[in-house]
Amino acid sequence: MNPDRWIRKVALRLRSLVNRREVERELDEELQYHVEQQTAENIRQGMTPEKARLAAVQALGGLELQKEQVRDTRGTRGVEELGRDFVVALRSLRRAPGFALAVVLTLALGIGANTAMFTLLRGTLLRALPNRDSDRLVYIRQSAVGVGDQNTRFSVPEVADYRAQAHTLASLAEYSSSVPFTLVGSDGAPARVRVGVVSGGYFTVMGLEPVLGRLIADRDDGPAATSVAVLSHQYWVSHFGGDSGIVGETVRLNGIVSTVIGIVQPAPHYPQRTDVFVNIVTSPHHLSASMVTERTHRMTELFARLAPGATVEQAQDEVARVAAALAKEHPEAYEQGAQYAISLASLRVAVNQRASLTFWLLMGAAAFVLLIACANVANLTLMRGVAREREMIVRATLGAGRMRLRRLLLVENLALALAGGALGVLVAFAALRLLVAFAAQFSPRAAEIRIDGIVLAVGLGTSVVAAFVLSLVPSIGGTGSIAGALSATGRRTTLGRGGQRFQRLLVVAQLAVSMVLLTGAGLLVRTLSKLQSVDTGVHGERVLTLDLPLSGALEEAVMKQPENVVMYERLQARVAGVPGVEAVSLASLAPLRSSIASFDVKGEGQTLPPNTATPRAALKTVDPHYFGVAGVPLLRGRTFASTDRRESARVAIINESLARQLFGDVDPIGRRVAWTGEVLKFSPLSGEWRTVVGVVGDTRDEGLENAPTPSVYEPFAQEFIMGATLVVRAADEPGALQPAVVRAIRAEAPGQLVEGVTTLDDIRDETVAPRRLNAMFIASFAALALLIAMVGIAGVLAFSVSRRTAEIGIRMSLGADAARVKRMVLSEGGVLLAGGVGAGIVGALLAGRLLRSLLFGVSPSDPTTLGGVALLLSAVGVLACWLPAARAARVDPAEALRAD
Amino acid sequence: MSKPSDLVQGTLDLLILKMLALEPLNGFAIGQRLKQLSSEILQVSDGSLYPALHKLEQEGWVSSEWRRSENNRRAKFYSLTRAGKKQLQVESGNWERLAAAISALVRLQEA
Repeated sequence: MNPDRWIRKVALRLRSLVNRREVERELDEELQYHVEQQTAENIRQGMTPEKARLAAVQALGGLELQKEQVRDTRGTRGVEELGRDFVVALRSLRRAPGFALAVVLTLALGIGANTAMFTLLRGTLLRALPNRDSDRLVYIRQSAVGVGDQNTRFSVPEVADYRAQAHTLASLAEYSSSVPFTLVGSDGAPARVRVGVVSGGYFTVMGLEPVLGRLIADRDDGPAATSVAVLSHQYWVSHFGGDSGIVGETVRLNGIVSTVIGIVQPAPHYPQRTDVFVNIVTSPHHLSASMVTERTHRMTELFARLAPGATVEQAQDEVARVAAALAKEHPEAYEQGAQYAISLASLRVAVNQRASLTFWLLMGAAAFVLLIACANVANLTLMRGVAREREMIVRATLGAGRMRLRRLLLVENLALALAGGALGVLVAFAALRLLVAFAAQFSPRAAEIRIDGIVLAVGLGTSVVAAFVLSLVPSIGGTGSIAGALSATGRRTTLGRGGQRFQRLLVVAQLAVSMVLLTGAGLLVRTLSKLQSVDTGVHGERVLTLDLPLSGALEEAVMKQPENVVMYERLQARVAGVPGVEAVSLASLAPLRSSIASFDVKGEGQTLPPNTATPRAALKTVDPHYFGVAGVPLLRGRTFASTDRRESARVAIINESLARQLFGDVDPIGRRVAWTGEVLKFSPLSGEWRTVVGVVGDTRDEGLENAPTPSVYEPFAQEFIMGATLVVRAADEPGALQPAVVRAIRAEAPGQLVEGVTTLDDIRDETVAPRRLNAMFIASFAALALLIAMVGIAGVLAFSVSRRTAEIGIRMSLGADAARVKRMVLSEGGVLLAGGVGAGIVGALLAGRLLRSLLFGVSPSDPTTLGGVALLLSAVGVLACWLPAARAARVDPAEALRAD
Repeated sequence: MSKPSDLVQGTLDLLILKMLALEPLNGFAIGQRLKQLSSEILQVSDGSLYPALHKLEQEGWVSSEWRRSENNRRAKFYSLTRAGKKQLQVESGNWERLAAAISALVRLQEA
């Protein structure tokens, strides 16, 4: 093809678009010249001047038509007319501001909700993990459900076995975060940090790159290496202000001097949030003999990269085979009753697991809202279509083709939808902060949520699709052929039969979808109230808790038990003196916090039935005031006394569920319990017998939906100490007491870390909070849907009434009274409501199954919820129908018949 | 080439291209010549002239410029582009093949 010609063509079209006025003027001049010349020619041939000119113009077939034909050749008409159609559309929408506003707002809500949810979904679930070749990464989890342990982690010998025997795994990475750490920087102030102890291959396997400096590598492995630390991007930004000078500096981690060698790229932290990554040598615990050699010393999380060609399924099968062989080879490390099992999943699946269902449900709910919104707008368009029929006929008779009219409608809808979409995206922007906070409850990837080009493109796409769908509506509604409309006598005021049926179908669908959403919301709210009615077992009121961890070299600090007891008791006494403090107790753990110290426990003289797991219990050390302050009821025996000291007889208090597990119906008071199992070998815990002096009530430390945690309480003074929590009962509002209490602690021990300051009420709320947010979101979507659907049904009835004014007038003049007319309209709405509720119940029953795993204490087909929602929908629906019905009843027959 | 209008349209294009191959002309002059040349046989209305001219221009076969006409008035003169010359050859070839085929057909029926 000749390039010269193409340049010419493009230049001409651009000129027609950009320099349209000039092009038009030239066309005008050209035709003018022709007409003048032809007129002169005609005069020469003997015509009168007037006739000559007329003939010249007629020969062209009329000047304007001629121009139109020429314009057609430019191939730019579509674009030009679109602009003009847009102006026409805006003008016509300005004439119907109520309609335009209703449509734009409805669409804005629908599109806004969808854009927001899509933003959430994309940031967390849809985008690939930032790790290199992230689809080849897997997370391996060992569990022992028999003792209620969902994640037992792995021991060093186990990791070595998997490394040697699993050929579908190319490389394994170790990560462990169970040791508490404090970090002291150049300012000398200690701070709690979440530390991940990693193997030298960790970052290579995980496919992460440094943004500064270097990452931990193979040469940093082993006990002979120097201690190095890598900061997570998040921690670097939040605690060091993103200062690149930190690389090369040293910090003290539990007293060990460690060099910061680099900052790792931002990546979701799994399974825990991590502030600082360190090599093995930084954690003396990881170098201890038992850690290296004991098969049951399980502290390590395991990540792996699949071997080339291997699939997740193959890896899962192979790992399970290795696990079975290990269990056979080392029966002592895999107690039968504990039901050790291995699962392996793609890292992405593991990271998204918690958020997946919730987020998809919300996306579905948002899509439903958009559906209802579109149905509503379709209805509005349909009604407006009837009113505009005459306008369309006039346009058609003036020469607008069918396609042209279609396009006009499309452009109008496009204008509405784009305005709605733009507003919707603004809504999404406004909700972004809220969204991130919400997502953080479910997903470690919340920080990655942002509104980007793709999200905007989806918002725009949704608007355009909505506009196209809406433009199809009038043709479904059967506005009919123009000829048909013209031949009809007078003015058509109602939709055709097909149109009416379609309109009613839309309303029924809206009601049904609202019913589904409302039921979902209802189920979640019921779940919430069921959960909140669950007794936590901790009844203390006006309680403030403060964690006071040990700092410095942890291994040594733990050994100084007597000194620690003295120090903490001094702090306790000091805080007890603060005005407004009623009572202070010392414990190893705040009430309702799940304990990291769980061990196998045995009762004296008890033999377990074969194949049952040894009971496992949480260790909690508490002082004599604890049960009173926390509000854990004593059921039998006595609480600890100030005489239960280090040098006196070993005693314990157990909770109800442990008492039942160990002793059945026998009274446990006076019997003895002791810690047992392999784990004792590598913990400072002693296996000595302790006499049970009391039984206290159960507490639900693992969340309200889980069973109570079996627990052994020991006197604070009789066990090793890794730190302590002050449990403070205030005379008044506990939060207000915080500054004074912290000041008192600082005065007594200036270097003491104070962490996790919170009220017992807030701790109680923690299990419910994500669910409440979830329920709130679904409920607001449902409310939105309900509102739109009600406007929908009221609008359709009002339209029906206003178009049937004449009919109602005739009925009334023939003897129908107001009540009868009202009944007629109400029953019209009633049929729609019944259809909607009926379809909605079916939909809700189907959708409820998806919710099952999010529910607690409520069945997905809970009749109370379904009935209640149906009742609510009907009641609100009747209310919405009342207005148009009342208006129908007020019709004055004489006036109605005269009008039109 | 299924619809008769295509044939007529195509013919008009060919005629215009041919005329412009001889010398640049303005629209009115093309119209006059068309009438003179084909007065009896072809009925070319003024109405189809300008759309055809503009289409040829948009296609890049002809270019235009504003010049003084013989009676000293500003007029839009069209001339053939290089691509237009090639197009003229192609269309003349097409036309001749078509004409030959039709006349052969007509003769066949006569025999």
